[in-house]
Amino acid sequence: MRTLSLLSLAGAAALTAIATPASATGAIKCQAGPASSWKTQDALKAKLLKEGWQVRKTKPDGGCYEVYGTTPEGDRVEAYFHPVTLEKLYVARRGEVLFRKKGY
Amino acid sequence: MAIFNHRFSLWALLALPAVAMLLGYGRGSAEAMDLLHPSGEMSARLMIIAIAISPLISILGPRKWLQWMAARRRALGVAAFAYAVLHLGFYIIDMGNVADMVAEALAPGIWTGWAAFILMMVPAILSNDASMRALKARWKQLQRFVYPAAILTLLHWIWVHNNLGPALVHFIPLALIVALRAFKSLPQAKQGA
Repeated sequence: MRTLSLLSLAGAAALTAIATPASATGAIKCQAGPASSWKTQDALKAKLLKEGWQVRKTKPDGGCYEVYGTTPEGDRVEAYFHPVTLEKLYVARRGEVLFRKKGY
Repeated sequence: MAIFNHRFSLWALLALPAVAMLLGYGRGSAEAMDLLHPSGEMSARLMIIAIAISPLISILGPRKWLQWMAARRRALGVAAFAYAVLHLGFYIIDMGNVADMVAEALAPGIWTGWAAFILMMVPAILSNDASMRALKARWKQLQRFVYPAAILTLLHWIWVHNNLGPALVHFIPLALIVALRAFKSLPQAKQGA
């Protein structure tokens, strides 16, 4: 019985590990080509500031630029932008999706 | 071996990740935002371990390592809460003001975190010998606040990232262990009756 329990526990743990998707970071993915053709994070930041955003942090994630900041409407969000067009693709507040561009 | 059994060693071991996080923050190599996930994950892991010990003893029988853990379960629970405090501290630093915190307080990923924290606070505050003596049988009941706290922690994790994977990797094994104990205790309960 003990061996059986141990085996089932080990099996369950293994199943959980297998069933979990390996990539869990980026909320969305951008197929934006080589990074050499991307605009800079500073360019994105400047654009957002002009639009009334507050930008706390930017970083590349899932082939997109990820921005932590506050929208012109005053929501504290995590947002994704296309690194070439700088188009807004996805906005979420603490995991609650506020905006998602069609196709992403 | 004796050094591992010293009370201080366990606390030092449990504090190690917190020291690393605070050093990183102090040096400026990590922002509060970057430390939200590691501190929260550490809290959840310690909570899961503390909850799993007793069901594992029921399932696997009395094992030496499990009894070693069981004797330290209260410390693991308190450490889980300490990491929740750290997690909340980094959240407050990251948000920077009360208005922003209030504005998002009802987001699914956020209220679950607050609620889990408040529920964890009860057993954590009562995890001392004086409370155990004073509360007698009630003490154990109050420690069970950790179960709803665990469920809220799971929801907080899922909703704040809008992602099932990492949260379930941690909580499915716990759910299986708890379920297996319930399953195992069924025939025994009948025999006892």
